[in-house]
Amino acid sequence: MKRFLGFLIITGIVLSFSTLLFAQETPFKEQLVYSLTSFNGSTFSKSFCPQSEETIYLIANENSVISPTKTIVYYWPITRRYMAGFSTLNEKISGKLEILQNGKVIATQEEQKYVLYYPKGYWSEKAVMYLNEEADAYHKKYKEAVDAFNQKLKEYYQAMEQYRESLNRFFEEVRRRREAGEEGPLNIPIPKEPKPPEFVGFYASDPAFGFVLNLPPGKYEIRLRRDDGTIFEGSEKKVVVFTSRRKGGVGYEIIPGNRWTKKENCDDPSWVIHAVGKNELYFNPYRQEEYNELYYNKLVDPQEIGRIERFKWVHVDPVEQVTLLFGRGKEILQTVERSPYFVKQIPGPELGYEIIPYDEELQKKGYQPTFESYKVSLSPNLPKTDYQVSVVTAGGSRPEEKSERTIRILKKENASYIYIAAFIPLLVGVVTILGRISKIEK
Amino acid sequence: MGRSRVLRTLFKRDFLYTLYSFGYYGALFASFLVSSFILKNFLDATREEDILVSAFPLNYPLYLTLIIISLYLVIVSAISISREREQGTLEVLFYGPVTSSSFLWSKYLKDLSLGILALGFTALYFYIVSALTNLGFTGGLVRALIMGVFLISCVVSFGLFISSLTGRIRNSIITLIAVLGAFLAIQFVYNMLLGIEKESLSPSMLYLRQATAYVFHAINWVSPFAYLSRGLDSVVLENWTLYLTHALYCVIYSLVFVFLSIYAMGKKGVKA
Repeated sequence: MKRFLGFLIITGIVLSFSTLLFAQETPFKEQLVYSLTSFNGSTFSKSFCPQSEETIYLIANENSVISPTKTIVYYWPITRRYMAGFSTLNEKISGKLEILQNGKVIATQEEQKYVLYYPKGYWSEKAVMYLNEEADAYHKKYKEAVDAFNQKLKEYYQAMEQYRESLNRFFEEVRRRREAGEEGPLNIPIPKEPKPPEFVGFYASDPAFGFVLNLPPGKYEIRLRRDDGTIFEGSEKKVVVFTSRRKGGVGYEIIPGNRWTKKENCDDPSWVIHAVGKNELYFNPYRQEEYNELYYNKLVDPQEIGRIERFKWVHVDPVEQVTLLFGRGKEILQTVERSPYFVKQIPGPELGYEIIPYDEELQKKGYQPTFESYKVSLSPNLPKTDYQVSVVTAGGSRPEEKSERTIRILKKENASYIYIAAFIPLLVGVVTILGRISKIEK
Repeated sequence: MGRSRVLRTLFKRDFLYTLYSFGYYGALFASFLVSSFILKNFLDATREEDILVSAFPLNYPLYLTLIIISLYLVIVSAISISREREQGTLEVLFYGPVTSSSFLWSKYLKDLSLGILALGFTALYFYIVSALTNLGFTGGLVRALIMGVFLISCVVSFGLFISSLTGRIRNSIITLIAVLGAFLAIQFVYNMLLGIEKESLSPSMLYLRQATAYVFHAINWVSPFAYLSRGLDSVVLENWTLYLTHALYCVIYSLVFVFLSIYAMGKKGVKA
């Protein structure tokens, strides 16, 4: 028994130390990964697919780019993810990409040049992909715009230098004439400050190369064939190309006035906004599409998780230049335009903030609007019934497709009475059975 | 005696027997009480000056009501079949013009009719609840109630099949509760685990989720409750094609299990 206990203790100590040793080890592996620039319904998501993931997910009939790359991959236990050290090793793999379906090669692709073009600037979300000659053209356009900006900036700096000199001359002249005893208006022209040039309003990424996949919905396999005809080891992947289950229509992001940081979504046309009493709701409408949760999450990041049984709405684009209508039946109660709002923090232990319209005074003080939205005020005096919100194009009267949602004001004060309704079958039962008994007795 | 007349007589006998028993109303009362509890919690959750976005808040109570009612009807039918078998009534009946087909069809139609009646009560209950609280007696709810008829049909036909395989009352009830309870438990656990993010699950829970997923997919076309979930999903999606397809699946399911029950009873015989 003692021997057995001793064995257990020694084994325990050895295992503990080995765990510590393993915990300290960070395994770095050189691996072939696919760098992905995947269209996500609105713009392009950048991610990579390590060897641990068997499948790449892409949206059907849209360009997405995959680039086989040899890099250093390591596991980061804190986030339970594989990370890529592209800054250490980023070796492009040359070859041809074979696309297979049901075991047969249906296409062989060569790498193409592409750029991502952001029409509203680098920080905007929307991007368009251009290939080959168009890619060159858009990149050239951007470069020329940047060169033109730099030229204007140079001219601006020169103008500023001249402006400062003329400003000094102006002050010198004023001082000289005042010292000479001159009084009243001096009538010396004030030099005008030059305006800085505006930076280029759009952006185009540097041209890059990759395999452009634009496939109809279905299941495929891909592999990389080297120039010598052999298959590159580890390049085989499954590809699931999917499409949205439902598309079109408008979804809403709702900011409740009493908790502006905790937004709610009312995306599905069947969803109802249940409310009780007074409230202020700030609506932001979006165009949307409904995708399988697993497929979409894996599209954005192949290491992400999701549930194949569930679907999720994805906000594709904000709906702009519309008017929001709040009404009951055919009666319109509020016509709301998009306005900027500012969240003003209130010092003290009471309510932490107040949402106020963003006005010129705030602008003069240098504040920026916190958010822009369509504000609907629910008065406590509103009859407790169903109301509708919808968006109409500016000047139009027809609501945007599937933009109508119901706001249901609940009669919370009657909540306890619903237990009484549960007694209806008992009442009917008693009446039926007593009626039957009296009939038999007769 | 014509076959339809036999069917009518058996149906009337069983239908009135259940209608004049207190258990039927008791089951309805229990299901409405549970629904009231859920709806009260929903209303409490929509706090003052707050909002709650939800599809059809009445759908979940409806789902529970349908399950309670259909389980009650199935168990009552199982008891009735086993009792008649044990007491020899079935044997006596079968010496006459009664066949296993007319006997089981009458049971099925009786349960379905009582189920439809129960749905009438449910509609009335939800109407009153909506009038009191403005929770919304909508077209979607009416479609869900109609889908409920098809679910009751599925549960009843499946229950008849189990009853036709078992002999004694005790065995019949235990088997029914075990099988239908297992179906419900798998569906419940599966949906519960699906709602939890993968990162928050321990490895053992992850394996359990995977295992439940396999079992769920295996029973997906056998469990009558899976048909209800799919049917209610089609109501939420407002997709008429899907809705009618699910209704058709339910009809096919019911026919298959009623015919299987008739076949099983024919094979097993009428003696306990």
